[in-house]
Amino acid sequence: MLKSIKPKGRTIFLYLCIPVIWYVFSVFIPLITAMFYSLFEWKGGPNKSFIGITNYVALIKDSVFWISFSHNIYLVLLCIVGQVGIAFVFVLMINSRLVKLKGIHRTFGFFPSTVSAVSIGFIWMMIYDYKRGILNWFLTITGNSESVKVWLNEPSLVMLLVSIPLVWQFIGYYMVILLSAISSVDNEIFEVAELDGANAFQRAIYIVLPLIKNTILVCITLCVAGNMKAFDHIYTMTEGGPGTSSMVMAMYGYKISFAQMNMGYGSAISVGIFVLSLLVIGGMQKFLNILMKDKGVA
Amino acid sequence: MADLTLTKVKSIKSPAEKLKIGSLTIFLNSVLLLFSLSCIFPLVWMFYSSLKVKRVFNADIMGLPKDPTISNYVKVITNPDYHIGESMLNSVRTTALSLFFIVLFGFIVGYILARLKFKGNRILYVMFLMGMLIPVHSLLVPIYVVFNTAGLGNQWFTLIIPYVAFGLPISVFLVEGFIKAIPIELEEAAAIDGSSFTRTLFNIIFPVTKPILVTIAIIQTFSCWNEFSFALVLIKNVSLQTVPLAMTMFKGQFASDYPKIMSAMLTTMAPIVVLYFVFSKQIIKGMVAGAVKG
Repeated sequence: MLKSIKPKGRTIFLYLCIPVIWYVFSVFIPLITAMFYSLFEWKGGPNKSFIGITNYVALIKDSVFWISFSHNIYLVLLCIVGQVGIAFVFVLMINSRLVKLKGIHRTFGFFPSTVSAVSIGFIWMMIYDYKRGILNWFLTITGNSESVKVWLNEPSLVMLLVSIPLVWQFIGYYMVILLSAISSVDNEIFEVAELDGANAFQRAIYIVLPLIKNTILVCITLCVAGNMKAFDHIYTMTEGGPGTSSMVMAMYGYKISFAQMNMGYGSAISVGIFVLSLLVIGGMQKFLNILMKDKGVA
Repeated sequence: MADLTLTKVKSIKSPAEKLKIGSLTIFLNSVLLLFSLSCIFPLVWMFYSSLKVKRVFNADIMGLPKDPTISNYVKVITNPDYHIGESMLNSVRTTALSLFFIVLFGFIVGYILARLKFKGNRILYVMFLMGMLIPVHSLLVPIYVVFNTAGLGNQWFTLIIPYVAFGLPISVFLVEGFIKAIPIELEEAAAIDGSSFTRTLFNIIFPVTKPILVTIAIIQTFSCWNEFSFALVLIKNVSLQTVPLAMTMFKGQFASDYPKIMSAMLTTMAPIVVLYFVFSKQIIKGMVAGAVKG
């Protein structure tokens, strides 16, 4: 590298200082603040008292927090199967010569992922609505009026019901990502395999899957990260209710901090979300790497 | 070539196989079509339902409107209590300014990290990498505390701060990866011609990186426009709220007047929907590139 290209240290510093200060202020300062305040009893007012790790002890014993965490895990698993899994199946189908209107599937399928989670939540609330919902309307016209109910009030069903919009919204997104990965693979590979007598299932597992393995890993990672921070849909549809039946970690942290103004404990929950999310995302990646090696797909 | 092989394979198939292929064709197409239609059905349903009045909608939620009316839109847009126009203006301003800073900062930092060796280069790199890994929702509560202590909460510029910060890591890495693939001779030639660092950066490198900057702009337009949770904790003033925040208010304000909620939602969604269907090819390409490389 020519020396003349390299600017003075002062110039570099001037260019970097605003973005770096901006970034540190909004990401690292809050993180440190959360760790600091998590050691205090603080109800949002002027009085704070240092209580050491009491908040963390309470957090470990807090069954609602762990229920929320288990709901996040439920979302992660359901969405890996529902979003990436279904997207993969759709990609195999779309890739078939028999399918028409591929451009339409791509454009329409991708559309929901560009809409805000709040709108999606609203749309699905209208679908689940008791009196004016599409779901109950459909049940009634198909003669199943006995199963009509106030859907989002069913504690045992509510997690599934709030996950459906989430899954539905992002199938197209992952489908398009996987499609672009497949389109970079030479089409002749598939044709040769077909001529050699490999059936659709064999082609999917032994040819398509290994070829787009890395993209699938990216999708799964995006999916895990996306669902550990689930908040918007749930806030719009149920706010975590009924009771805590659809509570997720971010929602719980929000409720404790802003509804009960328990900022000290809320900060401890934030640190908890931070640690658990990193553990799950990291653990998932380790797990996937091992899985891929075992199968010899690598 | 491929078509030739195809016809050959097809011609030797028996009637039974043809039937199998025929039913498979119907099956595959209908499954995918059903899915695609489900993706835009809510939009269509909301559109024609928003043209009904409440009473008509409640009587028949699925039917097409017999005498369509735009009265819902008129009510929703003209009533200042709903803050529709205001919230859209807020969203446009927040998104545009965030985009400007994300692209500018992402470009500068990405370039410096890719090309210049100096003390702290690696530290910065790791710092931005951590930004990609940090679950931003764990910052929801602390960011509220920090912003309120610093007096930055509830201002017209409040949301730009976190949006730019959260958009930076991915932008920095997209630019960095892109710059690394550009031959360095470009800058060397510029330096020999006596171009200053700033001139080289903005007059020579900037135009070359346009494709990746467009990708960044596309991704960030959607994420800023749709962002909800940070707006929820940082903005308390109704006249400062962005579109997703305004939407959560509709529920309370309109109670169960669904056609009214729908017309309000469609009005606020309109810019992004139009943008999407006009530029869908570029948008999809940009979002995919961002997801895979990032």
